[in-house]
Amino acid sequence: MRSFSFNAGVLGELHKRAGVILALVLLVVVASFLSDRFLTVPNLMNVLRQVSIVGILALGMTFVILTAGIDLSVGSILGLSVVIFAGFVDQTSVPLAIALGLGAGVLVGTVNGLGVAYAGIPPFIMTLGTLSFARGLSFIYTGGTPVPILDEGFFFIGNGSLLGVPIPSIILIVSLFVCAAVLTFTPFGRSIYGLGSNEDAARLSGVPVNRYKVAVYAISGFFAGLAGLVYSSQLSIGTPIAGQGYELDAIAAVVVGGTSLFGGKGSVFGTFIGTLIIGILANILNLNGVDPFVQQLFKGALIVTAVFIMGRSMRAR
Amino acid sequence: MDQTGTPMLSARGLTKRFAANVVLDGVDFDLLPGEVHAIVGENGAGKSTFIKLLSGIYQPDGGEMRLEGAPASFRGPQDSMGRGVIVIHQELSLAPHLSVEENIFLGHFPRRFGVIDRRHMREEATRLLQRLLVDIPPATRAGDLSIAQQQMVEIAKALSHDARVLILDEPTAVLDSDRAELLFKVMETLKAEGIGIVFISHHLEEIFRIADRVTVLRDGKVTGTADVADVDQEWLVRHMVGRGFSFERVAQDLSDRETVLVCEGLASPGRFADVSFTLARGEILGIAGLVGAGRSEIARALVGTLPVSSGKVTLEGRAARFSNPRAAARAGLYYLTEDRKAEGILPNRPVRENATIANLKAFLRNGLLSRRAENRFIADYTRQLDIRMAGPGVEIRNLSGGNQQKVLLARALSVRPKVLVLDEPTRGVDIGAKQEIYSFIRQLVDEGMSILLISSEMEEILRLSDRILVMRQGRIAATLQHSEADEASIMRAAALG
Repeated sequence: MRSFSFNAGVLGELHKRAGVILALVLLVVVASFLSDRFLTVPNLMNVLRQVSIVGILALGMTFVILTAGIDLSVGSILGLSVVIFAGFVDQTSVPLAIALGLGAGVLVGTVNGLGVAYAGIPPFIMTLGTLSFARGLSFIYTGGTPVPILDEGFFFIGNGSLLGVPIPSIILIVSLFVCAAVLTFTPFGRSIYGLGSNEDAARLSGVPVNRYKVAVYAISGFFAGLAGLVYSSQLSIGTPIAGQGYELDAIAAVVVGGTSLFGGKGSVFGTFIGTLIIGILANILNLNGVDPFVQQLFKGALIVTAVFIMGRSMRAR
Repeated sequence: MDQTGTPMLSARGLTKRFAANVVLDGVDFDLLPGEVHAIVGENGAGKSTFIKLLSGIYQPDGGEMRLEGAPASFRGPQDSMGRGVIVIHQELSLAPHLSVEENIFLGHFPRRFGVIDRRHMREEATRLLQRLLVDIPPATRAGDLSIAQQQMVEIAKALSHDARVLILDEPTAVLDSDRAELLFKVMETLKAEGIGIVFISHHLEEIFRIADRVTVLRDGKVTGTADVADVDQEWLVRHMVGRGFSFERVAQDLSDRETVLVCEGLASPGRFADVSFTLARGEILGIAGLVGAGRSEIARALVGTLPVSSGKVTLEGRAARFSNPRAAARAGLYYLTEDRKAEGILPNRPVRENATIANLKAFLRNGLLSRRAENRFIADYTRQLDIRMAGPGVEIRNLSGGNQQKVLLARALSVRPKVLVLDEPTRGVDIGAKQEIYSFIRQLVDEGMSILLISSEMEEILRLSDRILVMRQGRIAATLQHSEADEASIMRAAALG
């Protein structure tokens, strides 16, 4: 019966994610040698704050990628929600603005899901379409000019902290645990893995495949809206170009975190660690004054190396 | 057969371990030139591992291999292929969008001035296909070929690599008996050319049809090697499972049983029409017929994955035209697919999740999925069905076909169906697991479940069914009582109407 309980709980999670966690630990060790400023509380909090937006996007992206889909529209949804927050927060109230911005994210996500699940449009194409469409909406809504945000209370979301921890990071970590719980402990979450592993088998087993597909894109849209909330509050301005290219950072975080693009394999904890790895890499390069252009090279190499190593370890099993 | 020559391929004390698990234990094996050497054994006996060692996909942990007398170790499938040892896997791997000739020469195209020499390729491909006595135009798109033809192209591809040793992994599993016979003809031709053939099959009668010698594996060890002429089926079975295999028939009186499922005039355009039958509580209704007669289609229409144009279905008196498998399962009708790989298993998920996916609600405790409840469930069926695995956490793709099927049976039962549709429940399953599945099915009907059994295996249908529907070209050609059914009466109805 030993083997029956081995994979359970946190230990099992650590065991499965050993590679990614090891990479993170290695990176931290190397980073602390490269700069004595790295392992300081203010710097680590800074890293956490900086990764929050992409980290939140990547959580939603994980749901989509677990179903063997992809969501290219998250950067644009973020942009759309940013201009909606900016447009409404000073005119109406903070709660209403938040509801509308998040609602817009869910709405675009739902459109993605309907297109993928019921119209049978490949996820790549469907979300490429909404990538352009949502960005277009942001430009139309703002007429192309950034909208300033004046509400002081709204800034707190992006810039405040609680017991020394930045609010955006708290949002990220709370979201992380909620997502993990949904994926691990609910029939919905479990079915996501199942349908990502073999959609036809899941359907024959009675999984409501189409509905759940809509749900994962809606979830991804929601988190894109949430990331937009952090973004607009941090910058206190609603710019229609917000989040351009962020979808690729989110996908990178998911992939570095060990989630398979073929679906059915991965976790939000992995994604979180992937986010940290990319964030720490950027941080250490910054601390050492590496040219931002050159940083791009490091990030690219990291993504490819990470996937290469994971691919090898999977084949070896 | 030349019994005296140096073996083409030989193994001595071949051993393979995965962690603490010894899956192959000191296997000795010889393949002589021009010999068909069959390997049989239950699922999990080590056949696949053995093949993977022979073809260099795995490296042995002990023992040695020799190729035409010289010590050989293969670094990988490319290496073994380069040295004339070629495996034709059960899952064919042609590129569907390329032509037959392109597939044959993929990776080693004949070249002239640096570009593909199309004319030379066409000639060579034609020559290879003629050598196999098959009539496939080399320019045909591989995706347009039947499975049997694709297999021939795979063999032609092997010959293009100068195959000396050909390893056929369950080649007949996807063929009907006519096509299998064609394959045997080709094997005879290759034999005559001195090629050694390793032949894996679950169908014991095929061993007697085509093999010269047979080696039996059980739990990773060789339990016997013999000339086929010297042994019988009973000998094979005894060495495979270590016990005899009974084919007893069981009859039961169903006259006073209540009717559970009624199907009246069911039709699906282009697939089947006018299908009417009843199913009693605790009855096994066999559905026999040739491939393409519309048997699986009926099952799919019942659970809502194929459209129904007319007809009426009732389940325990309630209307039961379902629009999707979920609705069917909720009402107590579950369909277990014939195509385990394509629409059965969740390959990269653990056994546990594969078993529970169909009724996750049953495993909620305080509103959350309980791993303990799931493990209890799978442990229960592991015992009942003798599922062999390292534990419920292993990915199901690592299990043998028979064990996968048992897990899928557990999945089907998790919804507690009133009517269970089993489609080819023992396809690709070895004889030991088959026996276990049969007795389990009997146990289910004893407990009051009703079963629709779709099967192409005559023996299975005859052995398990209380009544038998015979389908022919989308219609019911005959309904036979257990007492009047035999192989001849079924075949007559299926083929002649």
